[in-house]
Amino acid sequence: MSPVTLDYLGRRAHGAYDIDEWGLDPELVALANPLLALRWDIEVTGADRLPAVGGAVLVFNRRFGVSEPWVVARGVRQACGRFVRTVGAPDVAPIGPFLRRFGGVLDRTDEIAGLLRAGQLVGLPMSRDLRRRDRVGRLEVGRLEAALATGSPVVPVALVGRESGRAWRIVVGEPIAPPVGGGPLASAELAEATRHGVQAILDDALPSSWWG
Amino acid sequence: MRILITGMGGELGTRVANLLEADPTFTEIIGIDSYPPRRRTTRADFRRVDPRDRRKAVHLVRDFDPEVILHLGIYEPNARFDPTEARLGTAASAVAVLGAARSCPSLKGIVVRSGIEVYGRRRGAPSRPDEQAAVDPTTPFGLSMAYVEQVAIEAGQLAGVPVTSLRCGPIVGPSVPSPLGRYLRLPVVAVSPFAELPFCLLHQEDAALAVVAAGLGGHDGPLNVVGPGAVTASQAVLRGGRLPIPTIGPGWLLAAAAAELLGAPLPAHTRELLVRGGVADGALAAEVLGLSPRPTDDVVAQLYQWATVAHITPAARGAAA
Repeated sequence: MSPVTLDYLGRRAHGAYDIDEWGLDPELVALANPLLALRWDIEVTGADRLPAVGGAVLVFNRRFGVSEPWVVARGVRQACGRFVRTVGAPDVAPIGPFLRRFGGVLDRTDEIAGLLRAGQLVGLPMSRDLRRRDRVGRLEVGRLEAALATGSPVVPVALVGRESGRAWRIVVGEPIAPPVGGGPLASAELAEATRHGVQAILDDALPSSWWG
Repeated sequence: MRILITGMGGELGTRVANLLEADPTFTEIIGIDSYPPRRRTTRADFRRVDPRDRRKAVHLVRDFDPEVILHLGIYEPNARFDPTEARLGTAASAVAVLGAARSCPSLKGIVVRSGIEVYGRRRGAPSRPDEQAAVDPTTPFGLSMAYVEQVAIEAGQLAGVPVTSLRCGPIVGPSVPSPLGRYLRLPVVAVSPFAELPFCLLHQEDAALAVVAAGLGGHDGPLNVVGPGAVTASQAVLRGGRLPIPTIGPGWLLAAAAAELLGAPLPAHTRELLVRGGVADGALAAEVLGLSPRPTDDVVAQLYQWATVAHITPAARGAAA
């Protein structure tokens, strides 16, 4: 066993590692990295549009929704070194606590707002669209209320890839500043702009020919 | 400033009294509890009053006419009292003292020691609630504190004064009688490594400083007072060099029974904390009270540090005299 591995095991055995208040275990994520690299090969375009510090909501499309949260989290970490807290972890043991160790969080507006106030990147999946690969799913009006409440930017992110394949592509769009003031109209406007933003990136990212 | 401390016989109450004694702003300090303070006090005047003796408590409060009431008479189950006695004592103390508050013409503010247990850990509840989160306790201790907060708000409205509810994280420290502290210091500790969520802690000294700052501040509303950061039960146990025993489901009943036999009974709120976790957003309290509580990691480290005992021989004692 290498000294690095021994050191790692020693730290785990003595509880000398960090877990954040939502349950993320960065050391465990680092340990799982080689395994995740075997499963997904990710290319990220437009990573410079991701904020280097501070909170932001990354809204991404998904099809089946199994790989996408992992792909976004791993891709963003690869590109800018920041962790993504993906919304949608169930609050049921043992799956809930397990997903939280890798950055999963509950789907609650106050939970997302707390993360944004703490300067975290939050990954928010749109609803599934199983039939068409080229269309993004719905984005309910109320889902970006936390971004509105905290004044955090919303970043549209498009994912292109297949569950059955290794290769995935992430395209990061221009951040959208939330409209000033709250209310249902501002919320609807932001959701529409974000959905349109993800769709536009996806239209550009998908191959233009059946043979591409 | 005249100040009344309830629960002065506890570790927190005694320390708060000591801090107030060192500040000349507080001209008169009276403390009540059913047990005497745990340390020597200099200026504070302690009156032994059973929290259930409402008549005596009400007379004392009215006669003293405090400007600020620091209500620390919150009894944690299995800390110093059994769960039933703790619940009844907490409720009686709140009703007696806070009920008398409205007839104190000089009253300017009420500070209540509460806890983050008032948020509860129901399935789907926010992982890190801020002060805006709904109060939805899921344990008897949480319910007790939510009740005290409610009594205090009512008393504050009647008296027309601000009420600060300090929702403290679990208060632990080397000398605090806490079921969590006792449990984590057992040589063998049951944990749920595959189901546990992180929790935060608050050092006893930070809790006392927060109470004093709140007494001077006059903030109206709740404040979460917690140490930054979090640990899981398994982590804490490993850091303390204890042996963690993975436990699931009904195994916890056996673990609780064994812990009780070993002198560390496990009340519902502690069991919930160990499995479902318990953290809160303490940013507002840090801003309002101007405090930076010790990180949870440091509190865990101190929990397992045993102070060196200095043995004084008779000869040395004579020399010291």
